Amino acid sequence: MNETITKGHLSEEQIDRDLLKNVNWGGTFKLWMGFLTVSLIICLYYYYQQLRNGLGVTGLHDYVSWGIYISNFVFFVATSLIGMLVSSVLGMMKVDWVRPVARIAELVAVAFAMVAGLIIITDMGRPDRLLNVFIHGRVQSPIVWDIAVVVTYVAISALLLYIPMLPDIALCRDKLNNVPKWQQKMYKSLSLGWNNTAKQFRLMNRYTRMLLVLIIPIALSIHTVTSWLFAMTLRSGWDSPIFGPYFVSGAFVAGCAAVIIAMYFFRNNYKLKNYITADHFDRMGKLLVLVALVYVYFNINEIIVPGYKANTADAKHVHEMLYGHDSVMFWLVQLGGLVIPFLLILFKPMRKPLPLTLISVIVLAGAWFKRVLIVVPTQLAPYYPIQNVPEGWTGYTPTTPEIAITVASFILVLMIITVLAKLFPVVPIWEVKEDMNHKNN
Amino acid sequence: MKNNKGYHIIILFCLCFLAVANVNAQSDWQVPVEANEKLSPFLFDDDMVLEGRVAYENSCTSCHGTPSQDDFTPMSPPPGDPASEPFQAQSDGSMFYKIKTGRGTMPKFADAFADDELWNIVAYIRSFNENYKQELPNMEGIVIPEYAMKLSFDENVDKLVVKVFAEELPQPEVSVSAYVMGTFGKHLLGKAQTNELGIAYVDVDPTLPGDEEGRVNVMVKATKGFARAKVEEHMVMAKATERHSAIEGRHIWSTDRMAPIWLKITFFVSVFGVWFALLFIVFGLRNIKKARKEA
Repeated sequence: MNETITKGHLSEEQIDRDLLKNVNWGGTFKLWMGFLTVSLIICLYYYYQQLRNGLGVTGLHDYVSWGIYISNFVFFVATSLIGMLVSSVLGMMKVDWVRPVARIAELVAVAFAMVAGLIIITDMGRPDRLLNVFIHGRVQSPIVWDIAVVVTYVAISALLLYIPMLPDIALCRDKLNNVPKWQQKMYKSLSLGWNNTAKQFRLMNRYTRMLLVLIIPIALSIHTVTSWLFAMTLRSGWDSPIFGPYFVSGAFVAGCAAVIIAMYFFRNNYKLKNYITADHFDRMGKLLVLVALVYVYFNINEIIVPGYKANTADAKHVHEMLYGHDSVMFWLVQLGGLVIPFLLILFKPMRKPLPLTLISVIVLAGAWFKRVLIVVPTQLAPYYPIQNVPEGWTGYTPTTPEIAITVASFILVLMIITVLAKLFPVVPIWEVKEDMNHKNN
Repeated sequence: MKNNKGYHIIILFCLCFLAVANVNAQSDWQVPVEANEKLSPFLFDDDMVLEGRVAYENSCTSCHGTPSQDDFTPMSPPPGDPASEPFQAQSDGSMFYKIKTGRGTMPKFADAFADDELWNIVAYIRSFNENYKQELPNMEGIVIPEYAMKLSFDENVDKLVVKVFAEELPQPEVSVSAYVMGTFGKHLLGKAQTNELGIAYVDVDPTLPGDEEGRVNVMVKATKGFARAKVEEHMVMAKATERHSAIEGRHIWSTDRMAPIWLKITFFVSVFGVWFALLFIVFGLRNIKKARKEA
């Protein structure tokens, strides 16, 4: 038994009080939600502009038809993968320290996966054409695979968030008497008459286990298929057989960073220092080092193999990356967003909550720009030269509407996480109690 | 002193030579009288103009430019625009002679073009002159026969058989040229002369690619003096081309029909399998509700 689950011994009442405290609609929440809503409305105005005038309001054109929308989509899918790693892989390996943060990881996963699907729609000038994927979709098309796995992953993540939360929802139903009526009703119906009977626990554990097994291949396929959207083409920079694992390993880096940031905010704002301890940050930091190392390894492969062979198109692509047009962003992302952070986290003081969170913010930002580097430069180096086209088409600069719509996707994620974290306890109460009993006995 | 005088004479001589040479270069190009009066044995028609244009664009444009555009290459002496007055003032025979023999920077085309092809070029140059009327020899008493042609293919010896008639009588010594019409212009199959039975044979390469049934579009011209005839016919005499779809075979992604069975099974079994498991769990939630009264 490790010592990280809780600090010291806490009574069950204390635990209930501490962890249910955040389930309320306080003033800070209203202020924060109000801010998010206003920002979202501003961004939605730009989306209205795009709907009315078409994709012409973006910086996209015939050559770069996938800009920051698709980069953002890849980033969102990547970040959502952490739910699988933390709750499923580590959970099934009985790595006990992840239990208090598993729900946070699952929240991040659900929010990012849900919005990822929406981002695809913003990339379409005619959103109604999405129906064509279902009407005329072909089984051979990676886009059809992508739609199938994204929808499945959202469903499975939502179930994996919900089912292990049943005892806590029942607790909310029983203990929270001062919440609005609709909320009480919601707890009542969502708790499915949970009564803490042994059979209920048995069933819950069985279904959770099934989901934990199912989510591993689904999560791997969602990001592998996302990588195949690129890798199944013959474009230099995308035409790579290791794109699947390359994307998956990169996803864990982004996801770890996102979870660390979320942990820090919940720990400070919800006063959960006894439940999400410095030790959790230390261990998440170590996990981040591990996944970052794997990702660095894949990055080296992605550059050295085509760079060494240097066939015409790949050589150009590698050249642009290493010392050409995209080199500034490339080195900032690779060194600043990946190598230096992971070297820093190797030192224990850097794995303390605040430094680790700051480093994670940088890693997450780096991960976002890394997706831009994967998506955009390849399109600017077509096999046929770019000629007899408007001047702006030799480059790509996102426009204000494009940036606003991308910001909107982040606002949506924050809103989903905020609402869910206000409706339900973010740390699994029953698991903490169970652990405590285990320790006391 | 004596030496000095010698130098003067040499310099004077050189100057004189240069002057004479310069005058010579700018003097009119003298064409022999006989050549100057030579008349085209063909009647200039649209067909000849079209062929002359192709020949002109391949061999003449680089110096003379596009006729009537005055965009010839600046050279000394200037090549000039063939649609211009000085060119059009010449006789047909003079143009023919100059193209054929060449002089100075104007190349000799005798080896590049046969006489009829040279006349095509003259016809093309004349087509820019609205006032031009072709000068014809004295035709009194001469009847220009109207040719008819019959084409067939002898597959035993791979020869195109051309029979030339005029009012049902076979015509000997008629020049016959056969072409295969392609998408981008025509390709010469061969040239021959009719024998006393009015028949000409043209070799056909049996590996020539035709359409799915081995058909090619054959064009045959028969000319003798001012008598001309032309037929175009689709004939089965080439190798049949088997057409393959550019997207067949391994290209599984091309059309819905190309979806391989293993992919369909993998996709649908995985998707339905996973969703079946999810629905199983969702319906299983009722069991959790039922289990609330059991210990």
